[in-house]
Amino acid sequence: MEHSLAAHNLNVWYGQQHALKGITIDLPIRQITAIIGPSGCGKSTFLKSLNRLLELNEIVRIDGEVLLDGENIYAPGTDVTDVRTRIGMLAQKPFPLPMSIYDNVAYGMKIHGMHNGHVADNVEKSLRAVGLWDEVADRLKAPATGLSGGQQQRLCLARAIAVEPEILLCDESTASLDPIAAQGIESLLLELRGDYTLVIVTHNIAQARRLADYVMFMWLGELVEHGPASEFFANPKAKLTQDYLARRIG
Amino acid sequence: MKHNQRRKLIDKIMRWVLRLSIGGATVILLLIVGIITWRGIPGLSWEMISKPPEGSFYLGGGGGVLNAILGSLLLATGATLLASLIAVPVVLYIHTYAGRSRLADWLRLTLDVMWGIPSIVYGAFGFSLMILVGLRASLLAGIVTVAFVALPILARTFDEVLILVPKELRESTLALGTTRFEMLGMLLKQTLPGLLTAVLLAFGRAIGDGAAPMFTAGYTDRLPGGLTQPVATLPLSIFFQLSAPFKEVQTRAYASALILTAIILLISFLAQYTSRRLGRNVIR
Repeated sequence: MEHSLAAHNLNVWYGQQHALKGITIDLPIRQITAIIGPSGCGKSTFLKSLNRLLELNEIVRIDGEVLLDGENIYAPGTDVTDVRTRIGMLAQKPFPLPMSIYDNVAYGMKIHGMHNGHVADNVEKSLRAVGLWDEVADRLKAPATGLSGGQQQRLCLARAIAVEPEILLCDESTASLDPIAAQGIESLLLELRGDYTLVIVTHNIAQARRLADYVMFMWLGELVEHGPASEFFANPKAKLTQDYLARRIG
Repeated sequence: MKHNQRRKLIDKIMRWVLRLSIGGATVILLLIVGIITWRGIPGLSWEMISKPPEGSFYLGGGGGVLNAILGSLLLATGATLLASLIAVPVVLYIHTYAGRSRLADWLRLTLDVMWGIPSIVYGAFGFSLMILVGLRASLLAGIVTVAFVALPILARTFDEVLILVPKELRESTLALGTTRFEMLGMLLKQTLPGLLTAVLLAFGRAIGDGAAPMFTAGYTDRLPGGLTQPVATLPLSIFFQLSAPFKEVQTRAYASALILTAIILLISFLAQYTSRRLGRNVIR
């Protein structure tokens, strides 16, 4: 069965600050959706509301619905670990777990009991999928912190896809990497399209042009405009979007 | 030009001031270790560490301080274990479930106040507690009381270590679909070296404390005989020997102090070594 992900009238407050204002959107499946907009516009907040990571923040208040297969993930009784297993995440900074390279990838599979006795095979499969296998095959037991930034980010990606999510959220996942490493992650994301529904936050309009099938433009907590990337970039409708893409604002 | 010269001069002066403070601290440590070594070595013998005191020990007779060495080790180990059993869950609770709540603030304030209370007060408290439950001076009473002394040190040190854990560790772990309890395991993995330091600090305080065990663990020339029997401790043993009006007994007090210092140093080195091995995977 095909999955689906949508937000319906989603509002978020940090204390008094109204950070997301009534976001409603249906996210396209097995494509890359890029969320663009200036700093502080609510891109990351929206992204983290999709896997309920937002609620780690103590002063946050969330209202409205995020619908995964039509079920509100904020409804009481929802198993949040199940939501986060189905919706993986790649963070802004590469952050390996305090374990060996091997265990970083194996950890998620082990806690979810999804290895069926094939942990090593699955670790290799995930590491190959992110093009890291050949670089680390001879030092799987070494600490993950010994890897370079780009390698660490690919390891984090391998860790995320190892638990076989359907949706993958990427929060400016190339922002802290050097250009070559960033390019590596970009091409990986393009490869993953089709297998996963990807939602990426980016600062970088050029990156959104390169990767996105669908674009959301946010401004001060509001979803100003969204649509298929070709249409969005060729023919932006809102004045704010036109100004932002022309770099007159933001 | 003049402005820049002044900046550089201040930099140079401050560097020397800081070096001087480091030098001062080192000199004091060396003086302490030097003096107890110099005055303790003549009193040190195999008999000192392998035998309990004989009847005339405090008058210059034979025997050693094995009673106090074993007593101190048992008391400090027991107290540190007991303190860990309470402190570690409390601190982990703060960091996994309580977060930045008022409960967490209140717990930290309590621990800070507890840290500031002199150990003689804990001794008196433990003593009244013993009377209340009808327990006499014993290893058990000493362990419980000294655990109160060690608890805030262990808890707050471990707490500070956990505060330094980047929030990305929690996010990365939870984003994989872990439960809070599984995330707690990951927190422990990251902070194990820090926890070890906290335990060691608490142990150091526990083994060096004289006032709390004086009221509660009592003192005996015999080797530790069980949880309900009184035990000797090194700080008290040092005190009794130093109070004796005999030169050779006082020398043995310094030897005992040397033994106490050696135990603490040995445990420090062991902890350093283990901490480095455990910290192999830690994210810095």
